[in-house]
Amino acid sequence: MGWLFLVAGAFVALVGIFTELQYGYLPYNFRIITGLGILLAGIGVGHLVRYKAALKDEQSARRLTVEERDERTVLIRARAGNRAYWVSATLIYIGLMWASFAANGSLPALTGNTLWFFLAVGVLIPFGVYITSVLVDQRNL
Amino acid sequence: MKNQLEEFRVRNGWTQQELADRVEVSRQTIISLESGRYNPSILLAFRLARLFKLQIEDLFLYAEEEEHHG
Repeated sequence: MGWLFLVAGAFVALVGIFTELQYGYLPYNFRIITGLGILLAGIGVGHLVRYKAALKDEQSARRLTVEERDERTVLIRARAGNRAYWVSATLIYIGLMWASFAANGSLPALTGNTLWFFLAVGVLIPFGVYITSVLVDQRNL
Repeated sequence: MKNQLEEFRVRNGWTQQELADRVEVSRQTIISLESGRYNPSILLAFRLARLFKLQIEDLFLYAEEEEHHG
C-alpha cells in the first residue's frame, strides 16, 4: 500500500513538473498536480515508515494490523468516504447542470481556465472533505 | 448508551492498551467507549462482555430516551 501511494505520488508529481516545464505558457496552474503528487507520495512514505517500525517487533506489527481493522477506524473512514462521495456527486451535478445551461446560452460556457479550476476544485474539495471528516470524527467519536 | 467498561477494566487491573489488545481493537476505541462517545458493534460488545464473564446488559446500559435525543 505504501509503495503504491509512493509510486503513484511520484508519477503524478513528475507529470505535474513535466507539464509545467513543457506547457508552462498555458494559463493553468500545474502546481496543483505536482502538489497532489507530493501529498500522495507523503502518504506513501508515512505508510512505509509505520510498516518498517512494525517489522522491528511482533507486538507493534500486531497492533498495526489491529488498528487497520479496528471497527471505529473503519467507521470513521466509511463516514468520511460517504461525505466525500456526496460532495463529489454534488459538484459533478453542478458541473453537469452548468454545462446544460451553457449549451442553450443561459450561462457562460465552461472552457479554458474556468473548466480547469472547476475540475481542480472537483478533485481537491472532496479530498479536503475526506481529510476533515476523518479528523473531526477522530475527535468526536 | 452508558457502560461500565472502565469500572470492570480497573477492577481487573488492566490498562486501556491491555484491554484493547485482548479484544483486538485500538486503544483509542477503548478510550472512546469508556467516555461514551462511541457505541460498539454487537460483536465487540459480545467480546467485551465475554472477556469480563458478563452478560452484555451487565456491561452496557441501554437508555431508550438517549436514542430519541440523538
